[in-house]
Amino acid sequence: MILPLFIIIPLLSAFLIAIVSGKKDNFANGLSIISALLLLFGAIYNFITQNQEVIIYKIGNWDAPIGINLVQDSLTIFMLIIVGLISLTSLIYSRQYIRYISTDWKYYSLFMFLITGMNGVIITGDLFNLYVFMEIALLSTYALVAYGGKAEEFEASFKYAIMGIVSSTFILVGIAITYSATSTLTLAKIAEQIPHINTKIVYLVGGIFLMGFGLKAAIIPFHTWLPDAHSSAPAPISAMLSGVMIKVLGIYAIIRIFYNIFGAPEFFLNIFMILGVISILIAGFLAITQWDMKRLLAYSSISQIGYILLGLGIGSTLGILGAVFHIFNHAIFKSLLFYNAGSVEMTTETRDLKKMGNLKKLMPVTSKTSMIASLAISGIPPFNGFFSKLIIIIAAIQSGHPILAALAVIGSIQTLAALLKVQRFGFHSENKTEVTENKTSFGMKFAMITLAFLCFAGAILIIPGIREVTLDPIVEVIKNNGEYMNMVLGR
Amino acid sequence: MLNNNLLLLILIPLAVSFLNIFLPTIIRKILVFATLVVTSVITVNLFNANNETFTLFSNTVLSLDKMSYFALAGIQLLSFIILIFSLKGVEKNIEKQFFALYPLTLAFSNGVVLSENSFSFLIFWGMSGLTLYLFSLLGKTKDSPQTAKKTFIIIGGSDAFLIMGLALVWFLNSGNSWSLLSTNIPLVDGLSYTAFFLFLIAAFSKAGGFPFHTWIPDYSKDSPIESVALLPASLDKLLGIYLLARMFTTIFEINVIINLIIVTLGALTIIIAVMMAMIQHNGRKLLGYHAVSQVGYMIMGIGSGSVLAFAGGLFHMINNTIYKSNLFLTLGSVEKRTGTSDLDKLGGLGKVMPFTFIMALIGALSISGIPPFNGFFSKWMIYQGIIEKTATLSAGYQIWMIICLVLAIFGSALTLASFMKFIHAIYLGKYQKRFSTIKKAPVNQILSTGLLSLLCIIFGIWAIKIPLNNFILPALQDSGLSSPQFIGTYNPQLMIILFGLAFITGIIIFLFTKKIKLDENYLGGMDSEERFRVLGTEFYNEVKEMTPLNTLYKWAEKKYFDIYNISTKFTISTAKLLQKAHPGQLQLYLLYIVVGLLIFFIVSLK
Repeated sequence: MILPLFIIIPLLSAFLIAIVSGKKDNFANGLSIISALLLLFGAIYNFITQNQEVIIYKIGNWDAPIGINLVQDSLTIFMLIIVGLISLTSLIYSRQYIRYISTDWKYYSLFMFLITGMNGVIITGDLFNLYVFMEIALLSTYALVAYGGKAEEFEASFKYAIMGIVSSTFILVGIAITYSATSTLTLAKIAEQIPHINTKIVYLVGGIFLMGFGLKAAIIPFHTWLPDAHSSAPAPISAMLSGVMIKVLGIYAIIRIFYNIFGAPEFFLNIFMILGVISILIAGFLAITQWDMKRLLAYSSISQIGYILLGLGIGSTLGILGAVFHIFNHAIFKSLLFYNAGSVEMTTETRDLKKMGNLKKLMPVTSKTSMIASLAISGIPPFNGFFSKLIIIIAAIQSGHPILAALAVIGSIQTLAALLKVQRFGFHSENKTEVTENKTSFGMKFAMITLAFLCFAGAILIIPGIREVTLDPIVEVIKNNGEYMNMVLGR
Repeated sequence: MLNNNLLLLILIPLAVSFLNIFLPTIIRKILVFATLVVTSVITVNLFNANNETFTLFSNTVLSLDKMSYFALAGIQLLSFIILIFSLKGVEKNIEKQFFALYPLTLAFSNGVVLSENSFSFLIFWGMSGLTLYLFSLLGKTKDSPQTAKKTFIIIGGSDAFLIMGLALVWFLNSGNSWSLLSTNIPLVDGLSYTAFFLFLIAAFSKAGGFPFHTWIPDYSKDSPIESVALLPASLDKLLGIYLLARMFTTIFEINVIINLIIVTLGALTIIIAVMMAMIQHNGRKLLGYHAVSQVGYMIMGIGSGSVLAFAGGLFHMINNTIYKSNLFLTLGSVEKRTGTSDLDKLGGLGKVMPFTFIMALIGALSISGIPPFNGFFSKWMIYQGIIEKTATLSAGYQIWMIICLVLAIFGSALTLASFMKFIHAIYLGKYQKRFSTIKKAPVNQILSTGLLSLLCIIFGIWAIKIPLNNFILPALQDSGLSSPQFIGTYNPQLMIILFGLAFITGIIIFLFTKKIKLDENYLGGMDSEERFRVLGTEFYNEVKEMTPLNTLYKWAEKKYFDIYNISTKFTISTAKLLQKAHPGQLQLYLLYIVVGLLIFFIVSLK
């Protein structure tokens, strides 16, 4: 599938939904599912046919400095597949879930804008363009977080918006400084210029971008918006935010800027490692003591982002492999956990773990899938999360950082404790809830079972023969950071 | 690939477990039984096998030496006997899950002991912990969800430490191979000691060594009794001690300080757990604490650095699985008939369940180390080995070692004391009328416990001939240890004759001096009431009242010594501090962002 379609399809469906659907959401839901399917299959098709090569699409056939390039390498395809997969399951899940909040098309239209923004960030080869798409995605999420329409949701959305805007402003300043130093906004061209400009400017821009994109990725100390926003949003949106968005706007942008453009300077890698471990530990502590199920999951997202950052910061092949694999795994199990939380909330009308009870009997699918997701995120074999954490810990030791490895191990126990708390109080507790009707619909179950299956099946990506065609090319892209510039500029 | 015996030992139970998800209960039972027949046959056939391996991606994943064979044989034997017990009597509403989990546990346990590769070891180890969690979720008591959580946090957490330990060993081995059998890391610097202790945490958590033992009593109380006999009493001991044995033979090169530390931990495990066992009122919990206490002997034996004690440790491991599962299962029979495992409510059951009583008695005598049962011989070997090792040490270390040895022997005496209480509370004492309708245990349960009791006797009387010569000594040889030299004499036949003579003499004296008149109990001329019954649990109330023990017991009951509780408290208080930094004020949050940015710039200026 040609690259612009990844932006055009969701954008077009967003407007089409707004124009065509009447009062009901049937059309909107159907159309959005179809476009998400198209996007997923398009991404998978590109993976099968073009994974080993770099594809440049020149819009209007203008060359780089004048026109905007769209770039596709294996990292791009990987992120597109994740976005496609999680948005597809989220939309299937939404069909029933959103009706429980309201029945109109706006949700789906906003959802499509969110996908547009994220896909745009992923495939663009231009720094300012990245910023614009990022804002599209953010604006739609400001609305989606408040979609439930309760006071606390507006508050969360407001905080999120303020902090998002502050960081976006910083990013814009960073872009301006970059432009003044390099006279270009094309990522590859900036990369070409970087060795020739003053290192102080690199540090200045780097710091600003670290804060700006670090806030999108919810790295501690820039994380404070996340627990509110992710726990207040409707469950499928929480899944999109925690599962995908913090990785696309945060981690993906960080990879592109700090690895492919700046060439992974040692100084930044060390900062990534330290921030990664801090995020793991602090968020781990905070997650354990939460009683709001979604808030607990939100804090655990911060700690899992910490693992990804730690892996990236280690910077060795193994470390990056772990980080990349963890991006994929976390997208799957965290989205699944939010789906579980959503279906529990829908049935029991509470997110308070203390008020839940013996849901094991009442909601067998939710209970079993959440068990799988909890085990996967806690790094219990044979689920996918075990392998990515294993790789990150080995990588930390291999690169001579046993203390960081030990802290990552402790973080893993914290995650286990937090998620077992969800299991114990949410599903296996001794007190009985008064609810007798399970409101989980077929679509919701389908979404949960699909992701639960992937928690198992995801682990096969690590088997040597399969890893060489799936994860290794991505690691190559990040590790050989100069290659991106050469490929894009056609050298 | 599918004709590899080692792989079959894992794949067959795994496949059956998967099939069992869809089948009706009766077929599940048949399939599990058939699986165990097959795996046992394969195991027997492997007895003389040499160099059986399984290779995947040009790495040796599974291999079999005599040490793993010993553990493997133990796993098949115990799983088989406990399965016989489980065929009839598992609670109806958990039966289905039980028989799907049973082969799963078998597959993963086989996987652990057969794994040569670190990764496969880690994966199987983790998954065997997972089955433990799934079993504990089947518990029906009020506390069982909490127990399941606690168990899995300790077990799953120790897995995470094991990951790091294995990675460190690989790193110290200059990143060459992931094989567990050829590392021999000398303990010289911080990293190697860290790796050693990370391994130790994993082994101790699984087997139940101090201070990571606290899940076992809870698990014993709240989970289905068959699973208690299967996991904490049998397979987890085999796996944990197997890892410990590997650590002391092939993975690390041990020095004297480590020997002393491990022996001390072993002695502490023995004495702390047995003291706790004395005061329990719940039969399952009492046995749970003994399951911990016995691990102490194995730890002492394996950790002491003497070959004889090492062999004794391994022997004690298999003996313990036999008599401990026997004790749990007999208690299970009682509990299924009477509906309680509370020692205060039981009593006088020896008359109505005579077979169960005899089996439990044999188990109790074995665990207390009474000759000629198996528990005596393995403890005897451990004591001898430690004495032998002590002779080679310098004076200060000698005193230390002797103190540990005395503690261990004292612990053995307390075990006997505690089991007098146990046996009295359930089977002896006044016969209670409300138990008159109780029937004998079902045939399968009697058969299963009978087999275990028989093994207690066989392994006691023919200790050298059967288990030691066939399994344990070859295992030592394969791990590069010399053959142990027995210092004392032990002749089981002589022992039996002596004990028999003593017993007969006792009876003769009793018969000659018999002036006892049996009658009903009366109290103030009235029939004695239920509440005046002598309870077994009251035997050691004095111990509980002694200063300073009373304070210690109080603290223990408040779980001050429970590592799980301590870390929970620490986590909550830390989280409270962090929580204060997140009051929900936007201004503060923006401040964090600015401060974060400033710190970055200050750092980058340097």
